Amino acid sequence: MRNEIELEAIIEDYLKGKLTAEERIAFEQLRSNDPVIDHKVVAHKVFLDSMAQYAHVVKLKEQMDAVHSQIDVAALAENLRPHPSKWVKLWRNNRSAVAIAASFILLAMVSLYSIQSNNKQAGTFEAMSKDMAKIRSTQNTLIRDIKTREANNSSNNNSNNARFGGTGFAISGNGYIVTNYHVVRGADSVYVQNSNGSYKAKSFYSDPVNDIAILKISDKRFESLPALPYTMKRGSSGIGESVFTLGFPKDDIVLGDGYVSSRNGINGDTLAYQVAIPVNPGNSGGPLLDNSGNVVGIINGKENKTDGATFAVKSKYIMEALNAIPQDSLSRKVSYGKKSSLRGLKRNKQVQKMQDYVFMIKVYNNN
Amino acid sequence: MSIKFSSQIPTDREVVLGILNNSVEALNKLYLAYFPMVLQFVLNNSGDEDDAKDVYQEAIIVLYNKVRSGNFELSSKLKTYIYSVGRRIWLKKLTQQSKKANNIADFEDVLAVDDELEMHEEKDMQFDKMKVALDNLGEPCKTIIQDFYIHNHSMQEICEKFGYTNTDNAKTQKYKCLQRLKKLFFQS
Repeated sequence: MRNEIELEAIIEDYLKGKLTAEERIAFEQLRSNDPVIDHKVVAHKVFLDSMAQYAHVVKLKEQMDAVHSQIDVAALAENLRPHPSKWVKLWRNNRSAVAIAASFILLAMVSLYSIQSNNKQAGTFEAMSKDMAKIRSTQNTLIRDIKTREANNSSNNNSNNARFGGTGFAISGNGYIVTNYHVVRGADSVYVQNSNGSYKAKSFYSDPVNDIAILKISDKRFESLPALPYTMKRGSSGIGESVFTLGFPKDDIVLGDGYVSSRNGINGDTLAYQVAIPVNPGNSGGPLLDNSGNVVGIINGKENKTDGATFAVKSKYIMEALNAIPQDSLSRKVSYGKKSSLRGLKRNKQVQKMQDYVFMIKVYNNN
Repeated sequence: MSIKFSSQIPTDREVVLGILNNSVEALNKLYLAYFPMVLQFVLNNSGDEDDAKDVYQEAIIVLYNKVRSGNFELSSKLKTYIYSVGRRIWLKKLTQQSKKANNIADFEDVLAVDDELEMHEEKDMQFDKMKVALDNLGEPCKTIIQDFYIHNHSMQEICEKFGYTNTDNAKTQKYKCLQRLKKLFFQS
């Protein structure tokens, strides 16, 4: 027993290389002579190797377990677990393939688009600008800012603080004048002027929705006008009907000639016509008449992005405004549905006959 | 391609040198770097977190043995190597559990690692044999043997720890334990 233990210890020391040179030589001598000892050595070597490997793995596992405990496995697993959704799974599994496919599609689309836009650039541009016009177009009200001009031309003593100008026309012989609401909006004082002179007027009625205002001349110098040469048109005008207007875009009366180009105004506004008459600031409030001398509307604005698109409030709404005035205060008022005395006359005669009934409206603001 | 890992990934060279020098730090870095990759693979192929841990640790042991055997050549990325080995181990386990392993969801390139796995299985068998033998040895023999051969304690320390009156008695006890263990080990 004692010897066995000694032998085992020697074998172990031998295998671990712990023996001195002499001891080793002596032991190898012994081993080569004794097959039993040799067998023991071999067996022990196998055992020790296995044990070393075992020890190594155990240590490695211990270390790995230590590291493993630092990892938040649950959270990681949550991210990496197969997703219930098939699409997400597909994406995770084929991330690279999907990415490549997607970039190809993108590239194809970009090149297709660029080819297309190169070929059709002009057309697209045109369409775009039309869209833009639609979005941006606003009604330009045609009030004339006469301040600067009047400052140079101080012939009129009231002109120093004149702000705006427009046009109006008589709807009765005793000094009722219709114009646009926007012309007289916020006015401190209003003067109207025709070839006979300038008269003070005051706002009598205003209808902001239809952009109509009625003024009453309050000046004592004003003498009643003879019977109105024009009448109000009862029905509506059709597209293509010739119309003309008189207005004061400058200090002299100006004739504008054209035709009704659309039944509706800006953005389908049913209150107004669209007419093809070039107008300028100052034309607002001017009468729009047809060839027979019937008033079909009042010029009230134009589209600022489109040439020749002028708008006029329909005569129907002028009539509505007139009905708001006590009927007995209107003498020799405008009639409607009747035959106008302008009918059948040439345009120059028509203008001559009615120019006394068209007034320049001057609006003053003190502030 | 796959999900970014938060920990720093050591260079392959760093890892190989670390393994050869028994660097604990290198092992830690290595372990943290590629665990999510293997976890992802196992989870997506009908395994759970514990399976992933076992598979990953085995794969790292394979890498260690390979590097230590001296014939490890970095012919591919370490990442690919670990992935391939782990994949192979898990698929083998799946077959052993007679679970179907079709439609394998892969996340990385795969290498052929059959030689490694064969070698590993042999070693793993040895490991299991030793483990079984030790478990059957009973106390205090198991602890004495483990202290001596695994934790490299001296006979003096073992003598004190177990309260033997002298080292000779301890040596005798160890001898007896060793004989029994060898018997268990070689017989199994």
